[in-house]
Amino acid sequence: MLLLAIVAVATLAANSARQLRYTAVAFFGVALAAHLIDDGSLAAAHIMISACAGLVAAAVLFVAARDGRFGEDPGWRLWIATVVAAATTAAAFAFLRPATGDEINTNLLGPDPSGVTTEVAAFWLLSSGIAILLTARGAVRGSLGALLMLTGTQLLVRLVPGPQLALTLLLSWLQVVVALAGAFLIVNQRAAREA
Amino acid sequence: MIEVIALLVVAALFAFVVRKRLAVVGTVTLAALAAAIIVVVLLPADASGDVLELPWRMTELGRLATVVLLGTLCLLVLAVWIDEPAYNFFPTALAVAAAVIAVLMLTTPIAIYAALVVGLLVPVGSFTFQVNRNRSAEAAYRHFSFVALGGCLGITALALSASLGRDQPPATFVLLVVILVVAFALKLAAIPFHTHAALLASEVPASALALYFGVLVPTTFIAFAQILVLSGLLPAIVQIGKVQDLLLTLGLASALGGAFLATGSTELRRVAVYSVIANLGQSLVGIATLSGPGIIGAMAIALVSGMAATQQLLAAGTLERRAGADRPSATTAPLAALAFVVGGFAMIGAPPLVAFPGHFFVELIAYSYSGWMGTALVVATLGVLVAQLRAAMAIFRTAPDRWRVERKPIAGIVGAAVFAVLLIGGVQPDGFLQPIAAFADEFLRALHPL
Repeated sequence: MLLLAIVAVATLAANSARQLRYTAVAFFGVALAAHLIDDGSLAAAHIMISACAGLVAAAVLFVAARDGRFGEDPGWRLWIATVVAAATTAAAFAFLRPATGDEINTNLLGPDPSGVTTEVAAFWLLSSGIAILLTARGAVRGSLGALLMLTGTQLLVRLVPGPQLALTLLLSWLQVVVALAGAFLIVNQRAAREA
Repeated sequence: MIEVIALLVVAALFAFVVRKRLAVVGTVTLAALAAAIIVVVLLPADASGDVLELPWRMTELGRLATVVLLGTLCLLVLAVWIDEPAYNFFPTALAVAAAVIAVLMLTTPIAIYAALVVGLLVPVGSFTFQVNRNRSAEAAYRHFSFVALGGCLGITALALSASLGRDQPPATFVLLVVILVVAFALKLAAIPFHTHAALLASEVPASALALYFGVLVPTTFIAFAQILVLSGLLPAIVQIGKVQDLLLTLGLASALGGAFLATGSTELRRVAVYSVIANLGQSLVGIATLSGPGIIGAMAIALVSGMAATQQLLAAGTLERRAGADRPSATTAPLAALAFVVGGFAMIGAPPLVAFPGHFFVELIAYSYSGWMGTALVVATLGVLVAQLRAAMAIFRTAPDRWRVERKPIAGIVGAAVFAVLLIGGVQPDGFLQPIAAFADEFLRALHPL
């Protein structure tokens, strides 16, 4: 539950930051906390791969900012994104939670084998990412939205039975490609704006 | 399989390093693509294996699509190398080839989807050029947003459907399949999710546009069909008619809307792009009928439309470049103009090209489904025909005193090559349709599991 709280707070920090470099640092916090949520199936190799991808993605955005002042003021978009994300998370959890009938038993620090914490974090990140992406004016917030969505997606894929190591690797590469494409667009949009 | 993908990825990295040395990067790119095609062709039928427990399998459709799509990539690379040097294009083409092979050979839906999204994101680097003079950066950003949104939604839907038990209420599966269909519609630029494609059509380089509509859009469509088969969602689609209705509605909207938009377009690139969207609409209808002929027609249309789009978009790019500030005209590049016109034959599914059977099957099955649906598809084809005729008349409006072949007629040569392939396929359709029919069998078996 503590990690879930960190995910939520770090997401709000990334969403509200006016400078891209702060956004990048906050995103790394989100990614790290999200991948450390223990649903009883955590493997060290998976955490290392996902954390490395999160670090690389954050570093790519950090470098793309080029200076500490560059970024995008979220303005009213921050509130829209937060309200929509909160409402959608609750709705998605209620509608898409597996009807297993298992007892839900969460605690502050220990693992959560029921997967509830993982699912809530995933739905929160997905809905925050969608809200940020849909209200974004440019590549700065667009990249953040895409990366948050992908982090949420990675959490849900963790619950799927199958070749987990391969899927973790594939999605981590995807995260790096999303960050690179986003950084490329940020640099180009900035060049076009400053011309 | 992993060796071929590794070869292409290493070649892409090398091509990125030497991207400004055209002779080297062009040769390396073509050699790597040719090597990949040869390896795939030489792989035994039904070869399979796994990478990190991720299974892969070489199907007949996978082999056919690999040859068609990587062959199209070779033609594109040749055109860019000789006619329109764009440094970023070569590593992009190699990375896209690696993604295409992964999509066609993997058998785990989430892995297929992730590889597809990587492939769709890579061309962002080729979409932007001279960002101070045009809106290519904005077009690339919109494409990025649509792909990221569709990609994450699609993977999420697949992950949830795989982790939920089969005893869930039907509404849950309806929601997941609807999310999956919308996610693919976003990436296929199906109407009403086509706004990014409209901006791309007018702002990005013709070669990058051809890479997207000629290679990646057909790959996306094939991935859609494969994921439906492999995800185990098909029986749920059959039981719940609403999803089938959604697919039919999307398909008809794209077929009619694409044809309507193509008819109203004055730019050659838009005519080509909207024609592809109209044809993809027909393909969606074909899949939605959940019948053998519909599936065969749908896959055939998707593959042939990609080839025709490559032919037409390269020709449109050449005509625009040669015309400068004037309207594109056959007088400046007659072979490119001819390539654009013959590309139109494939777009409308005219016989004797191999484009014909696909359109014939889908329209036939649409008529057997309902009269008005068949009529709608015929009207859509007529709309594309009118759009192509208008474009051809606009190009050939003025005639010079003496026709002279343009310098470096690469678009014309690519057009002739594609036309020859489509003609040979039309004369001998079994080689093209048989692998697709094998996939249709697999699709139907997945529809009604024992």
